[in-house]
Amino acid sequence: MTVPAVSRPVPSRPAVDADAVVAALYRDHGGTLLTFVLRLTGGDRPWAEDVVQETMIRAWRSAARLDPAASPMPWLATVARRIVIDDRRRRAVRPAESGDTPLEQFAAREAAQELDALLGRVVLDEALASLSAAHRSILTETVVRDRTVNQAAAALGIPVGTAKSRVYYALRALRAALEDRGWRSAG
Amino acid sequence: MNPPVEHTDVAAYALGVLEPGDRAAFETHLASCARCRDELAALAPAAARLREERDARQDTT
Repeated sequence: MTVPAVSRPVPSRPAVDADAVVAALYRDHGGTLLTFVLRLTGGDRPWAEDVVQETMIRAWRSAARLDPAASPMPWLATVARRIVIDDRRRRAVRPAESGDTPLEQFAAREAAQELDALLGRVVLDEALASLSAAHRSILTETVVRDRTVNQAAAALGIPVGTAKSRVYYALRALRAALEDRGWRSAG
Repeated sequence: MNPPVEHTDVAAYALGVLEPGDRAAFETHLASCARCRDELAALAPAAARLREERDARQDTT
């Protein structure tokens, strides 16, 4: 009797369906992640695609630990950022060169701050995108367009009191959406 | 002539989008309303984050 083919050893995998988790991550966040990584790689697309792929491989390995209720974007962005930094470091290491000069350390710190700012922007964009259309619109009409709530109310053709209370509920929703994405206020 | 201050004005105040008269009226109200002071403290970081991003994007465009 021959051993049935299905009984061949399978590499150990997390108990959850990691393939399905990663397929969903690609579908829902692959595009956003690639856009984010392209900014980190300075528009180098082949490099960015490698980074996205490596990020997804790490997500596959960590699938059991990912919280299905939370947005995975902060986790993906953090992992991708780390991969880009490691890549840069590896490329910077050349036999003839001395390594971590003060100038290089300064450049690395600058790059890290830049990446943090980018990550912050991704989180804010995601939080805004998760709001209802009415809440997003009142924040756009006031803060983003630099108008008072009275001017925004006139532009939208709604009573001032309605606009003010909409601003109130929109800001509360934004705060909750930011906190859901791991944002903590600096203060 | 401004409408009476509402507690929910706290968000527009935190975002800096009240008319000058309303802002002054809300500040007077804030001095005597602990609930609004608490809410201002809770909402101010998210409001600041949004304004900071608006300013950053205006600088680059």
